[in-house]
Amino acid sequence: MNRLMITPRARRTGLVFNRSTFFDILKFILLIAVLTFLIYRGTLGLGYNWQWFRVPKYLFLLEDGTFTLGPLLNGLMVTFRITAWGLVLAFAFGLVTALFRLSHSFVAVVVARGYLELIRNTPLLVQIFFLYFVMAPVLGIERLFAAILALSLFEGAYASEILRAGIVSIHKGQWEAAHSLGLTTFHTYRYIILPQAIRRLLPPLTSQAISLIKDSALVSTIAVYELTMEGRAIVADTFMTFEIWFTVAAIYLVVTIILSLVVTIMEVRFKVVH
Amino acid sequence: MQGQTAREFIIEVDKINKEFPGGVRALVDFSTQVRKGEVLVVIGPSGSGKSTFLRCLNGLEEIDSGSIVIDGIPLDDNRKHRLEIRKEVGMVFQLFNLFPHLTVVENINLAQKLVRKKTKEEAAEMTMSLLKKVGIPEKANNYPSHLSGGQQQRVAIARALALMPKVMLFDEATSALDPEMIGEVLDVMKTLAREGMTMVVVTHEMGFAREVSDRVIFMDGGRIVEEGTVEHFFTNPQEERTKLFLSQIL
Repeated sequence: MNRLMITPRARRTGLVFNRSTFFDILKFILLIAVLTFLIYRGTLGLGYNWQWFRVPKYLFLLEDGTFTLGPLLNGLMVTFRITAWGLVLAFAFGLVTALFRLSHSFVAVVVARGYLELIRNTPLLVQIFFLYFVMAPVLGIERLFAAILALSLFEGAYASEILRAGIVSIHKGQWEAAHSLGLTTFHTYRYIILPQAIRRLLPPLTSQAISLIKDSALVSTIAVYELTMEGRAIVADTFMTFEIWFTVAAIYLVVTIILSLVVTIMEVRFKVVH
Repeated sequence: MQGQTAREFIIEVDKINKEFPGGVRALVDFSTQVRKGEVLVVIGPSGSGKSTFLRCLNGLEEIDSGSIVIDGIPLDDNRKHRLEIRKEVGMVFQLFNLFPHLTVVENINLAQKLVRKKTKEEAAEMTMSLLKKVGIPEKANNYPSHLSGGQQQRVAIARALALMPKVMLFDEATSALDPEMIGEVLDVMKTLAREGMTMVVVTHEMGFAREVSDRVIFMDGGRIVEEGTVEHFFTNPQEERTKLFLSQIL
């Protein structure tokens, strides 16, 4: 009788717990166990020598009570720097492009459209190489900045499409009310349209931010010593291929999951009731 | 002469035309004038151009030809004129169009601060007095979604009044309301009319017209079909189309 009782929490999250849920979870655990067993047997066949005990010192060092970051966490700090600047710039590029495309200026529309199509239709890896090997020497920009610029230009193009969709989704009555009150276009965007649009856009913008964190691994190709590059260097030194790549993947996972959680909390806090 | 004597008409509309994409002619050589303090009620079937006329008055719709002058300021391509006119002309919409992410107080404060450059304290004082005027000071810190339709529309009126406009436009302000809430909004509008506000009101509420209007325009096909006092419309309408329309709404 109580099997389909919907709790308030379930209504929020869309999750409903009942008896079949437990069987679902059981089946899932069994599947994972079988997969783990198969991988274990596979590595036995390879004769791989697991050396997990050697991994921690690449994360951090504790000597005489002083704590120092190992190469992997140092790399993570560089990844943070790249993604933090990347997020700010990508949002700026995205917003400007979206506003350009919605403006009445012919030139602005063409510029925005050209940027979007150029970025969306070429591989990110090629853009990174182009910026680093062609533009960086010409403009005299350094390696890290070239990496940040390439990433933010790339993600900004996608962010602009998300922002544009969000802006046009705001009812035109909001524009009319703002205009009838004598607000300028700038004030209308700043106080009326963007605050409403960005609340609606938090989930897709989060996906874009997570993409940016993951895509930052690609700048290891121009020898920026972020997390992935440090991982490659350690593997080259130690041949602990499996342990290091498992660890690097886990670090990315932890970072992106924390970001997702933070945004979920923000969504609840800034919820607009319609 | 001009500028020395008090201006007779606060709204001067001369032969305006408006055609929508697809060839619908919403306004055809439409002309009228509104005196300071006059309450003009515009009636007509849907698609007759009455809302378009109202929306042209504050530049929400562009006119194709003709001229509109509000309180001596021409509504033209000059951006300054446009903003100036929008400060002087308040508008109330059928669907309220309150800002859902702002509280009632913030809705009313916003333009006072941004457009009239008032300080926080001045704006807050004005806002509270307006909320008292429309009868809902207790809802000051609620969000619009927590208000009934009638309350939302009264907030929208307060928001428009906060700029101290010289003219108020009402675009079917009670059409989206449940019947029991129409009265509370009409009461606020009647109070405004009696206080001497210049108003252009698109409505089907002939009771409102009877109580406070100075003049009624019946529109059809983008033109004025008949014009007169409300008594004229109740007792002695001339045109067949007017009689037909009145028989449908009364």
